[in-house]
Amino acid sequence: MAVRPVLELPDPRLKRVARSVGRVDDTARAVAADLVDTLRATVACVGLAAPQIGVDVRAFVVDVTGHRKARSCHGELVLFDPEVVGADGPALGREGCLSVPHYTGDVVRPSRVVVRGLTLQGGERRVEVDAFEARAVLHEVDHLDGLLFLDRVASHEAVFRRKVYR
Amino acid sequence: MSHVAVTAVGSDRPGIVAAVTGVFVEHRCNIEDSSMTILRGQFAMMLVVDAPPDVSAAQLEAALGGPAADLELVVTVRPLPAADEEAAAEETGDDRWTVSVYGADRPGIVHGVASLLADQGVNIADLSTRVIGSAEQPVYAMVLEVALPAGVDPNSLADRLADVAAGLGVEASLHPSDADIL
Repeated sequence: MAVRPVLELPDPRLKRVARSVGRVDDTARAVAADLVDTLRATVACVGLAAPQIGVDVRAFVVDVTGHRKARSCHGELVLFDPEVVGADGPALGREGCLSVPHYTGDVVRPSRVVVRGLTLQGGERRVEVDAFEARAVLHEVDHLDGLLFLDRVASHEAVFRRKVYR
Repeated sequence: MSHVAVTAVGSDRPGIVAAVTGVFVEHRCNIEDSSMTILRGQFAMMLVVDAPPDVSAAQLEAALGGPAADLELVVTVRPLPAADEEAAAEETGDDRWTVSVYGADRPGIVHGVASLLADQGVNIADLSTRVIGSAEQPVYAMVLEVALPAGVDPNSLADRLADVAAGLGVEASLHPSDADIL
């Protein structure tokens, strides 16, 4: 259990398609614990995916608790091998990413999403998320496929220099 | 390394970016930030390039004379003082907001809004305007990315912005362009 350094561009590990977990064992749970620890140690961060801490597995944590843009909120949501099984309602939002420091971008994403995956206990879970939680989940699922928000910006004019977080 | 600001403007055609950046490659200059777009058929390039110590702004300007002549571009080259770079490093501290302004086209919209922002000490980081709508009813649309210093209250700025917009007969709104780290 540890706070891990977060990889930044141009680290090639951010651009690979992560491997499925298949079965949630202690190794997978340890990865999840590190994800949670690292998320908690980072100001204003609501989501983190395993590739961002250099681990080649399909796992993420999202927690939008208390965020003013959140509607649905499932608290600390950890999923392995997540799969988006339903999505609709496009919405535009500005995203930043720990792995892409100093820049933000406007990204259109579905605002209602159904995602399915494995829980820490190894069972299957199906979650309906919307608004900000949906955006966060989709952003993290993208990481598992080697995609960054830069791959999805709404137009070339939609990339901005980010203010410094202090 | 020293930074040099380069602008080039000319009638749009394929090959302008390739020709201008070819000069940078020949002189081992690295493009730092750039913005290039077509404005009513004119291709406008603005770049800041990092030049090695043995390449002066004057040398670059002379070398850019080739593509400038071939492609009928107006080119300017200006060495940047180090102080500008310090200012650039500081600019990121303020809150970012987006200002949208749109309405019937008339002279003075940009000036009216920009003057208000200047009076308030609000820095414009990005601005683009387009005339949209039909030929009979042109609509002017402007989007600005601005940095609000700590002392400026967004609500009172929004009120003043509404007053200025009303005076110009256009609509204006202010909304935070804060990003979420996901």
